Amino acid sequence: MSEENSEMKRAEQAPEALVQTKRSFSIIWVVPIIALLIGGWLTFKAMTEKGPVITITFETAEGLEAGKTKIKFKDVEVGKVTEIALNEDQSGVVVTAEMTKDSKRYLTEKTTFWVVRATVAAGKVSGLGTLLSGAYIGVNPSAEGDKTKHFKGLEKPPLITAGMPGRHFVLQSKELGSLDRGSPVYYRGIKVGQVVDYNFDHDRDGVDIKFFIGAPFHKKVLENSRFWNASGVDLKMDATGIKLDTQSLVSIMLGGIAFDLPTYMEPGKEAEQDRVFSLFKDRASIEEKTYTFKQHYMLYFDQNVRGLSPGAPVELKGLRIGEVVDVNLEVNQETHTVRIPVLIVVEPERVDVLVTEEGVMTDKEEIQEEVEESRADLKYDLAEQVEKGMRAQLKTGNLLTGQLYIDIDFYPDAPKAKVEFAGEYPILPTLPKPFEQITESVARILKKVEKIPFDKIGKDLQVAVEALTGTLNEIKTMSGSINDETVPRINASLDKLEDTLEGIKSTLGPDSAINYNARQVTTELALAIRSIRSLLEYLERDPQALILGKEGDKK
Amino acid sequence: MKVTRASALQLGLVSCHACHLLSRKPKASTHGVACCPRCGEELHQRKPNSLMRTWALVLAAIIFYIPANVLPMTITSALGTVQADTIMSGVIYFMQHGSWEIALVIFTASVFVPFLKFVILIYLLLSIHFKSIKRPKDRTRLYRFTEAIGRWSMLDIYVVTILVALVKLGFLADIEAGPAALYFALVVVTTMIAAESFDPRLIWDVVEEKHE
Repeated sequence: MSEENSEMKRAEQAPEALVQTKRSFSIIWVVPIIALLIGGWLTFKAMTEKGPVITITFETAEGLEAGKTKIKFKDVEVGKVTEIALNEDQSGVVVTAEMTKDSKRYLTEKTTFWVVRATVAAGKVSGLGTLLSGAYIGVNPSAEGDKTKHFKGLEKPPLITAGMPGRHFVLQSKELGSLDRGSPVYYRGIKVGQVVDYNFDHDRDGVDIKFFIGAPFHKKVLENSRFWNASGVDLKMDATGIKLDTQSLVSIMLGGIAFDLPTYMEPGKEAEQDRVFSLFKDRASIEEKTYTFKQHYMLYFDQNVRGLSPGAPVELKGLRIGEVVDVNLEVNQETHTVRIPVLIVVEPERVDVLVTEEGVMTDKEEIQEEVEESRADLKYDLAEQVEKGMRAQLKTGNLLTGQLYIDIDFYPDAPKAKVEFAGEYPILPTLPKPFEQITESVARILKKVEKIPFDKIGKDLQVAVEALTGTLNEIKTMSGSINDETVPRINASLDKLEDTLEGIKSTLGPDSAINYNARQVTTELALAIRSIRSLLEYLERDPQALILGKEGDKK
Repeated sequence: MKVTRASALQLGLVSCHACHLLSRKPKASTHGVACCPRCGEELHQRKPNSLMRTWALVLAAIIFYIPANVLPMTITSALGTVQADTIMSGVIYFMQHGSWEIALVIFTASVFVPFLKFVILIYLLLSIHFKSIKRPKDRTRLYRFTEAIGRWSMLDIYVVTILVALVKLGFLADIEAGPAALYFALVVVTTMIAAESFDPRLIWDVVEEKHE
């Protein structure tokens, strides 16, 4: 026992083991950890996916709704409108939108925003989907330019979105005409592009029309391509008559631009992006050569120039060499006379072949040189030509419309005149227009008529009339005797004639003997004819009866 | 107040979770686990790890509760207009359109009840942690209430699933369940399990401990 006790004591001396609650990691904590991981991941995703917040200003927020309206590019959502507020001076609205993360690098100055609403216009119906889904904001992203977060929205959607293959070009025109954004551009009747925008150029006092030609037709726009306004119906009435030109039914309604090469021109190089062209007014005018060298002349006319307008042709022997630039009116205070200065421009280059001492020149460069030289010789040349009888004259180009043109020709018989170099422009001598000449001739005739001695003629006439009266009186007396003597006799003769006719009537009347006899004769004649007919018929049947006699007689 | 009845714990008895047979607790068994002599279910004096499990699940539920309310519950597309609605935006929508009854039902079932459950469960957990002996009966009642209402939060999920299945009119109208539906379902499920893993007897254990 003692041993046992001592062992027990020894055992008791050993320190007691600590009983500790086991701090085991319970599997249940995995649940909140997973929850935390999911929550953390969601937060991270939301944080990283949160794109930049931008503001866009528009004139109106029509159709836009905060929290609903989307920003789309190529129908892919790239943002969402979060807030719509009026701007400070209430002139527009500020739309705050949250963009997607990817769109960050496209938020540059060149990026444009606009509201897409349903549009129904002539020739175009678009955005019908927005009728049901509501408007959305379209975006045309551009990675170029400085980064910004504040944009000014376009009021009208641009027609060409980024990434469309093709090229932009610019047309300079004096006026817009019937062109508009979206007006088609035609190449040989195929719609290959459209007008994107237009601006007014204050320096040039004209319109810059921006347009886009889609691939592959942008390669058809060459350095020397010419563009003309194919708008609507081009009805032109000028000295050459009435001209009607149209491109297509759509262009009649909407207007449009067409381009091509002038027929005489060789194709040039492809035109670069943003090349500037000038807009010709119609198809015919692109065919006209452009001339760099222009010479102005002044013409003075005294007569009526009604029907002469700027642009009227100046012709030399029926060929156009220039046009009228300006028509004015000048009153001379001293002499109280009115004259009309007409400024014309002549393009000497139109005269292709120049005759020189060596002969006919065909090389264009030589001609050019000659033209340059002729500029110096102009004074001399012109004086010489005028000496030869060169005169300008107003002529009626079109009798129907009364349009006038300037005809330059040589009139060796014309009264002597000289070219004046006094003023700004050389003054060419003029001749009155042919119609004017006619009126002058008429006047001359009238003058001659005036010279006829009407009073003397009148006196003679009076004498003649008196003589005539005497004659008439004689005729009167004569008719009196006719009444008294001749008429009764005529009456008697007529009575006799009546008697004679009566006698004839009794002889030939219905009851007269002649009549009766005649009737009798005709009856007899009818009978005779009938018997002859029967005889003939018989003979036809039996020709032998002529020789053999009637068959019945034989029996 | 004198407690006259002895608890099973004091008597060294253990109740089976499965068949509720009372059996004597084995004394300090070092090896193996105590099992019910009738059905073979593992025996525990109290739900094992009850507090820790409840804490873990409540925390997980609270975390899930955030995306459930922030993310869209339904994605409705009608005539091309796509609209994503969170639970609260749906409630506000119904409120603004005069259907405040529906708004109230949705708000109660989907927002208020889950929130109430968190509050109750955390309160219960904290009260045990700090060995509170105040109003144990009321606390037990609160627990029963929590257990009872837990399943009703699933109402929202049912509505969404039914709508998604019913409204399939293509372009005219289409409803899709948003990501919040998943998180909301997780909230409901985790809170239900949390309530399940909480052992209300712990409330009384503390009370009895204090009285001895």
